[in-house]
Amino acid sequence: MRGHAVRRLGFAVVQAMFVLVATFAVTALLPGDAASVVLGEQATDEQVATVRHQLGLDQPLLDRFGNWLSGLVTGDLGRSLVTGAPVADEIVRRFAVTAALAGVTLLVLVPLALVVGVVCGLREGSRIDRVLTAVTLFLHSIPEFVLGLLLVAGFAVHTGLLPATAAGTDPAARPEVLVLPVIVLVARQLCDVARQLRIGIAEQTRGPVAEHLRLLGLPERTVVLRHLLPAAAAPAVQQLARAVEGLLTGTVIVESLFAITGLGTGFVEAVQNRDIPQVQGYVLVFAGVVVLGNLAADLVAHRLTPRRELVTW
Amino acid sequence: MTRHPLTRRRLLALAALTPLAACGTAPADTGRLRVAFAAGGSKETLDPSQVSLFVDQARAKALFDTLVAYNADTSLRPRLAESWESDAAGTRWRIRLRQAAFHDGRPVTADDVLYSFRRIADPALASSSRQYFAKVDFARSKAVSPNEIELTLTAPDFEFPSGWGAPGAEIVPAGTTDFTAPVGSGPFRFVSFTPGGAAVFRKNESHWDGAPSIDELEFVPVNEETARVNALLSGQVDYAHDLAAGTAARLAGDGRVSLLEAKGTTMQGMMLRLTQPPFSDQRLVRAVLSGVDREALNRVALAGRGEIGNDLFGKGLRGYAADIPQRRRDVDLARSLVREAGAEGLAFAVETSDVDPGFATAATLISQQLKEIGLAATPNTRASSTYFSEVKTKGVAALTRTATLPVPTFLNQRFRTRGSNNVNGFGSPEFDALLDRATATADERARLALFGDAQRIVHETGGLLAWGFSTWTIAVSKRVSGVVTAPPNTFDWARFDRARLS
Repeated sequence: MRGHAVRRLGFAVVQAMFVLVATFAVTALLPGDAASVVLGEQATDEQVATVRHQLGLDQPLLDRFGNWLSGLVTGDLGRSLVTGAPVADEIVRRFAVTAALAGVTLLVLVPLALVVGVVCGLREGSRIDRVLTAVTLFLHSIPEFVLGLLLVAGFAVHTGLLPATAAGTDPAARPEVLVLPVIVLVARQLCDVARQLRIGIAEQTRGPVAEHLRLLGLPERTVVLRHLLPAAAAPAVQQLARAVEGLLTGTVIVESLFAITGLGTGFVEAVQNRDIPQVQGYVLVFAGVVVLGNLAADLVAHRLTPRRELVTW
Repeated sequence: MTRHPLTRRRLLALAALTPLAACGTAPADTGRLRVAFAAGGSKETLDPSQVSLFVDQARAKALFDTLVAYNADTSLRPRLAESWESDAAGTRWRIRLRQAAFHDGRPVTADDVLYSFRRIADPALASSSRQYFAKVDFARSKAVSPNEIELTLTAPDFEFPSGWGAPGAEIVPAGTTDFTAPVGSGPFRFVSFTPGGAAVFRKNESHWDGAPSIDELEFVPVNEETARVNALLSGQVDYAHDLAAGTAARLAGDGRVSLLEAKGTTMQGMMLRLTQPPFSDQRLVRAVLSGVDREALNRVALAGRGEIGNDLFGKGLRGYAADIPQRRRDVDLARSLVREAGAEGLAFAVETSDVDPGFATAATLISQQLKEIGLAATPNTRASSTYFSEVKTKGVAALTRTATLPVPTFLNQRFRTRGSNNVNGFGSPEFDALLDRATATADERARLALFGDAQRIVHETGGLLAWGFSTWTIAVSKRVSGVVTAPPNTFDWARFDRARLS
């Protein structure tokens, strides 16, 4: 198990490095640079040249990448080209916001997906299965911004039940600003996770293990919760890991719709500002989340299916 | 975006809040006006010399004062400067300051003004307002007394005072280099600010122009226009800056908000690069100017809420040459000019981006209209954040816009040979001489007449298709009063010291 983890981690570092080089190359190909963006549309060529020199943007690309990498080794993500502030500060601040959003989403998503998945799996093909599947599939297929706008129109603008956006509010002080964004995110992710679980449960409940346990006279609840669920959960946990990635890296639409200053909006801003150190910082965080999320899911899945260990060792 | 360029309480608590309160949504603090602007994220700063966004300028206006400010037509009104005059040559300017104090109690003195202007003029700062002070000879400028300054110019300039009211010309205390918690002399004091996040300011009880009525002012960043409107409609903010024409039309009948629509504030145009084919041929420039349908562009791209343009900047502003006849579509003339130039079927791209909500529609419409005169123009969409820097060197025809600024400034920047923002590549010794003569003319009426002559040249040969002027739209909740309609960059725009909340 530990060897497996170490191998995965090593591979993950290589993946992250590859992503960083690719990002650096792609950002270098974008038109314009931080100097031209920051100065705005009335800037003169002279001003742009001055700022470009101040920012070191007139140095060769490879030198800049080298400087950045050597800083990274010492844990220094560099400074923003735009603000001059350490890149890490901004990312930590925004990470906290997005993590809160993703955390609350998971707190709702996991139990909900469990209930939907188990109920549908045990009653495959029944009316409740068909209804729940249709509903989750429907929610999954509505674009996030459409669902978000509908919810805002219904619950905020017309009835005033919930805040329309998180504009200018600290979600920690007024958690209700997260309600609508969380609904949108849950609606998006619920379908995939629940369906994975449903398939697993459905297969298990028809399988010989379940039959054997039932013949032994174990209560149905024990059969489902103690035996079927862990085995069925392995693929669902993998799916959940992808959902976590989606929550952390794919909140751009939800964050901009609800004016939440998290990683998604921060990343878009950094790209628009051509703030390459900042972009690299975000990519590092996203790559880290994806890699660690998958690693964690892998290990959990491993643990949920102990028999596989016999095969892999 | 351009650098020029704009909650609460008891009743709110009773009205919109009845349902909100039920679920525990706390009302905004008493006496706090919340204003929503599109923001620049981490690139925002409170350094007034670095205002590249409307929100930067709005915050600078709250925290700082300028010597003078623009009326709606860009004529000047005194602010920190009580009075000013120049010598007969227009090279030596004497300014008297009114009694005013910074937030920490220090008086605003001549030294502060000199420090602020010298700082803006420093090339290393790369301030966008630097050009206004390029002619100042600081070695020969001095504080005559604590409240009197003498500025010496290297060349005559009777339009010099206009620069004191430009965005970015705010007065900061002498010696200031750090703007993380700035001290100004404006109607609001600094409380807190995070770049990309909210800014909270508190009223300055001892402001020389009277204390604001509201206790606190909060700038809330909301980049998505939809989110800005939703935040306003649901009572989260009381002021939503910069709405598209379509949104304005939709909100027009909504009883919860009032629209502040400043007509004709942003020139919408297309610049033609005169230094390379095809527009090095003046016949094709004329063909394009005669070939577009300005009424149709206004109707479609500006949702009928704008005004048509006459290929000149600054409709309605001081010095605008209103006597030049309006250019209208003349398809026959345009077609014959294209034929004459042997350019039938000539293909070129109209550079555009989504940096302005009207650009995409305008580019499509202009291309269609030009097809009708025999030119094969097609829109080419570029990235919005770098659009304006890219089109300085790329393409032959690019959509452009310019917010409110003094007409003489626009002419100097955009059309003088090697002017700081002369993207068209227009160059005419006759035009430059005319600008010089105008700038050195003491009598204002005569001076503006000369600037009018300069506009006649630009109108004929400048390569600027100024097809319309869009409306600048702001929506405020019904609880807000004392906020008036004004073009961005002028004094009454984003002015919150007279705002009241009911």
